[in-house]
Amino acid sequence: MTKRYGKLTALRNLDLTVEEGAVFGFVGPNGAGKTTTMRILATLLRPTAGEAWVVGHSVLNQRREVRRAIGYMPDFFGVYGDMKVWEYLDFFAACYEIPPETRQLLTDDLLELVDLAHRREDYVDALSRGMKQRLCLARTLAHDPRVLILDEPASGLDPRARIEIRELLRELQGMGKTILVSSHILSEIQEICTHVGIIEAGQLVATGTLAEMRKRIQAQRIVRIGLTGRIEEAQDWLSSRPDVMEVQPVTRNGEGDLQFLFSGDDDGLARFLSELVAAGFPVVMFREESGDLEDLFMRLTKGVVS
Amino acid sequence: MRERWRTILDHPLFQLELRRVRRRRWWPGRRFFLFYPALLGCALGYGVMVTFAGSLENRLGILVTGVPGVCLLSVINWLLVLGLTWIAPALTAASIARERELGTLDLLQTTLLSERSLVLGKLAGCLAQLWPGLLTMALLTPFQLLLASSSGAIFSLGSWPGVWFEGGDAAWMGVGTWLGLLLMSGLGLLRPWSDIALHAAVGLFVSALARSASVAVVVSYGVILGIRAALYLVNALLSAVLAVIPGLLMSGALAGGMSEGLVGGLLMAPIIITSLGIICIQVVGAVLLVYAAIWWLRQA
Ligand SMILES: Nc1ncnc2c1ncn2[C@@H]1O[C@H](COP(=O)(O)OP(=O)(O)OP(=O)(O)O)[C@@H](O)[C@H]1O
Ligand SMILES: [Mg+2]
Repeated sequence: MTKRYGKLTALRNLDLTVEEGAVFGFVGPNGAGKTTTMRILATLLRPTAGEAWVVGHSVLNQRREVRRAIGYMPDFFGVYGDMKVWEYLDFFAACYEIPPETRQLLTDDLLELVDLAHRREDYVDALSRGMKQRLCLARTLAHDPRVLILDEPASGLDPRARIEIRELLRELQGMGKTILVSSHILSEIQEICTHVGIIEAGQLVATGTLAEMRKRIQAQRIVRIGLTGRIEEAQDWLSSRPDVMEVQPVTRNGEGDLQFLFSGDDDGLARFLSELVAAGFPVVMFREESGDLEDLFMRLTKGVVS
Repeated sequence: MRERWRTILDHPLFQLELRRVRRRRWWPGRRFFLFYPALLGCALGYGVMVTFAGSLENRLGILVTGVPGVCLLSVINWLLVLGLTWIAPALTAASIARERELGTLDLLQTTLLSERSLVLGKLAGCLAQLWPGLLTMALLTPFQLLLASSSGAIFSLGSWPGVWFEGGDAAWMGVGTWLGLLLMSGLGLLRPWSDIALHAAVGLFVSALARSASVAVVVSYGVILGIRAALYLVNALLSAVLAVIPGLLMSGALAGGMSEGLVGGLLMAPIIITSLGIICIQVVGAVLLVYAAIWWLRQA
């Protein structure tokens, strides 16, 4: 689908599928289009072109069914400060057409789930930011949706509150919900996600399961070698190989090292090393630089902000 | 699709507003209704006396003694109408824009509340906040009608109902004037309601578009002032055009042998038609604006 705001194209032919039961981490720099995508899925925006479906319902013509299926938490969530915590949940439960008889039990359960049962009678204004965020999360669960769309649920939280939110998401995943969660910090969500999608300037640059993404990192591993001499010769030799890219000298304590991208699996790397030694280069160091998702993220996104 | 809430009273937004209203300590509760039967009794007695007291002198006497009461009622009513017509748009203008400002509009829109339900619920919530004023206005209506009826009886020069049975042109004259006056005051009483409806609808519509509550209130007041000026012109034009007609009608009617009494009623026709027209314009405008607000929210 495509979304334009006037002249600005926020999403460019974005095509994305989230499997049922997955925890899909949606990562991208500021202005990449994460919020826009989520708002379209939450039926709050209409795509300029294209279509989207949530559990088989079109966000264009079956908005009511979509709304029944999703729980949406916006990045700048709002709360009614002048309501009590339980009233807040009760109100939204009523908006989801939950009959009054069951609402009391439901709010108690939800408060229990997000650890706010002891603040039941407090005014929402009196809660800390982290608590409000948890309350908001509880709200999205009021109608037991199958899909959760959470826009940066951990933004502005201290490390402890982040971990609490993460635990909560894990619990929800255990309850069989499909979760779409966005963030600009990959390391933050890579611990709970089963799938990751990286978006930049309105386009999906990479997507797959966490394992696939890791493999992708390994497919292009950063290798560093140390030589006692023949540096230029080695550089030429490396550059001529098809599985080596971006060879560059790195200086370490006056001696020259070479760093490059190697594409191949572990066997390939072992073969490469034996060939390197067989070619007679004086190798004193051979090391794979640890690459994590963060590196991949940095490499895939070029800092283009639309 | 049908909403689950059978009546507006079950609507979550309405209940939310009621809960807020109830939290205010100074808001009148059920005590509000205590004064009403007493007031109604007095006014009824007064109206009956004025209408049925034998001679014109007696009636005038009663009327004079009742004047302070009547004045008080009119002043209360006038203040109420003035207050409500300008407070209602401020409340409705703040309603949806405030939710947008707080970021809760997105939350509401992703629930099962339809856009229509959202707008109507907000409107009901705002009116709920004004309930003491609106109820007082409604309760004063019978008094106003009674007063109109009895003053009509006085202005029709003692001919009704005392002379009713004696027949003759004088009686008809009285009935015509009386009916005209009654109709005029009836419309005059409907008019404030249509004002409030229109102003509230303008506020609601602006609120659906505006980013912040304060902007919405200011813009609504501007728009309402504009509309008032436009309606004033319409009113003036209509009366000017219609003022020509009774003269024509009257000469025609008299020439046709119509009784003078009914012709007296005709004199009031232009005023009656004008106010009826304005009321219709305002009510239709209000309904259209509310639907425009709903339509707008559906688009985004
Ligand atoms: N209402 C709007 N009107 C005009 N442009 C908008 C609007 N909302 C978003 N945009 C633009 O669309 C692009 C994508 O924005 P979006 O909010 O989806 O990014 P994001 O990935 O959520 O960023 P962040 O990480 O900062 O939350 C941005 O360039 C933004 O300026
Ligand atoms: Mg965002």
